[in-house]
Amino acid sequence: MDKAALTKYILDKFAGKVELLETGKVEPVFKLENEFLLEFCKSINSDETLHIDFLCNIAGVDTGERFEVVYSVASVKNKIRFDFKVVMAYENAEVESVQSIWPGANWHEREVWELYGINIRNHGNLTRFLLPDNWDQGYPMRKNWDAPDFVRMPES
Amino acid sequence: MGVIKKLPVYLEHFPGGGIVATSLDYVLSQSQASSIWYLLFGTACCAIELMATGASRYDFDRFGMIFRASPRQADLIIAAGTITKKMAPRLRLLYDQMAQPRYVIAMGGCTVKGGPFYYDSYAVEKGIDHIVPVDVYIPGCPPRPESLLEGCLTLQKKIKKQKIGDWS
Ligand code: SF4
Repeated sequence: MDKAALTKYILDKFAGKVELLETGKVEPVFKLENEFLLEFCKSINSDETLHIDFLCNIAGVDTGERFEVVYSVASVKNKIRFDFKVVMAYENAEVESVQSIWPGANWHEREVWELYGINIRNHGNLTRFLLPDNWDQGYPMRKNWDAPDFVRMPES
Repeated sequence: MGVIKKLPVYLEHFPGGGIVATSLDYVLSQSQASSIWYLLFGTACCAIELMATGASRYDFDRFGMIFRASPRQADLIIAAGTITKKMAPRLRLLYDQMAQPRYVIAMGGCTVKGGPFYYDSYAVEKGIDHIVPVDVYIPGCPPRPESLLEGCLTLQKKIKKQKIGDWS
């Protein structure tokens, strides 16, 4: 399935709930509501035409105004790739865990929680992963993060 | 080690004891400097240079240096590579497990001062002298094997100057 056909298929199937973002990327990028996330994942996973069986990556993003969690998914069988993201405000940022669909999400979600402070609902094992176990200096990937020995690159 | 450390003090009481103590210092420090066994501790790219130094072209062995994979028989730790905050306690643990007298060489910009990760990094320790005392610093990213050899020669000079009483 090429990009146009894939985009059309997803927009038709989830009409009104999913929106296409104009990114200029090779693969389409969709945006969806936080509440719809789990249902969407279940649906693309079980759909015969899409059959998304591989979660490549989950990335947190701090845009300076809000948080985003970006999911990159693929279908090994159908050779499809696309991204989708959920957008949320700074306050009480949280997303639902997608481990029930792709168990590999476990580590990615811990990373998002640990570095951005985005809570993962129903994760089950939200423990430190990349940072030292006794880390108490907040969430380092946030734009406004600071620590006593953190040195920002000077403006050139 | 208490006895060895006090040996010069005991010897001083005998006629000619001073000469014996000095010779003892000389023999011990020479043999120590000529048979440094270093603990393998490579965490990043600098470790490749460390391996090259150990391999046939640069041949570490000619200093009597061989690597040990255990801190128990090592008297030098060459920290080669980026030391992250997560890794730092392990480095300290290995250092603590080494027998005294023990020495540390900080190899490469990362180990000395955070290197290319000095700016904008939350994870990298900015200098291992925050964790363990360092004897010789070797700058560079990565330092060439020659630099490491030079660093080892510097350490040897340092060891040769030491007296038994200096052992800590
Ligand atoms: S100093 Fe350079 S070569 Fe050495 S570990 Fe750091 S980045 Fe790698």
